[in-house]
Amino acid sequence: MVNLTKLAATVNRTHITAPYSANSIRKLLDGSKYVHKESQKIITPSWFVGASRRCDGSIHLKTALSAAPYIGNIQKRLSSSAAVDSSKSTIVPDFSGYKKHSGPNTSRTFTYLMVGATGTLTAAGSKAFVTDFLANLSASADVLAMAKVEVDLAKIPEGKNLTIKWRGKPIFIRHRTPDEISEANSVQLSELKDPQTDAERTKNPEWLVMLGVCTHLGCVPIGEAGDYHGWYCPCHGSHYDISGRVRKGPAPLNLEVPEYSFENETKLVIG
Amino acid sequence: MDARNNGLEKFSRSVYRTIFRRNSVFMVGIFATAFAFEMAFDTATDRWWDRMNKDKQWKDIKDRYSQ
Repeated sequence: MVNLTKLAATVNRTHITAPYSANSIRKLLDGSKYVHKESQKIITPSWFVGASRRCDGSIHLKTALSAAPYIGNIQKRLSSSAAVDSSKSTIVPDFSGYKKHSGPNTSRTFTYLMVGATGTLTAAGSKAFVTDFLANLSASADVLAMAKVEVDLAKIPEGKNLTIKWRGKPIFIRHRTPDEISEANSVQLSELKDPQTDAERTKNPEWLVMLGVCTHLGCVPIGEAGDYHGWYCPCHGSHYDISGRVRKGPAPLNLEVPEYSFENETKLVIG
Repeated sequence: MDARNNGLEKFSRSVYRTIFRRNSVFMVGIFATAFAFEMAFDTATDRWWDRMNKDKQWKDIKDRYSQ
């Protein structure tokens, strides 16, 4: 194909007047022998198919010789007196420095390694984001420090109440007498509005710890008062018994029992 | 293939076969690596922070105010 097109380019030159005999053609080809030798290096000449860089720097697309424009390499070649080496007119850069030298397995493994590294960083980053965000929502150290209250139980004699403040609310602590404990245990669950045994409401029957907020509308009940010798809410007349259970009045529930624990015999921690 | 790449190619192929070929293994590897990476990263950054803030944090000056 190279030879044929060379030939075509050559015989199309206008100043050739000789008849197209085999002899004259051979003479032409002999005269441009070096062209063939040089162009053997290029499998398809750039001026025949594909895009090439023109001498003025612009990209020029060629599909076939027949579509050759007037300006450009072909025109120059056609107007020259002899067939010109095509490799001289098109400068092909040396791309060997940009070529990949690793094999297919290495490329594939490298690609997967990059994908895995991206996944690793994404997983670690999103986990850190979520945990930091949730940690931001939780209570800070100063809030947690205020959330607990310690009470010295040794200072409360039997049969006495102590009211302390915990998280802005009153806490009732009663040191109950054995009589009061047995009274609290003697109540039938069926007669209670909010059935709860005394054992459910206390960790140590001797100590009753509860939130001093009436479950009706949030007043603070009065201790050692009411029809059941427990607490009495003056706002709307709710009566609580010695275990803090509602017995009479509009309150729907028993007095709430907070989270608490006995650190030792005399130390109570609320919260 | 280039002769000097043979060792790398063999290594790459064995890595691919052991880790990347099964997606389950790949994912488990990603999460395990993320776990290890996070531990190492947190330890390193905490150590760096403590070094930059030496004698400024409560844990450094706590002894001066001990009861």
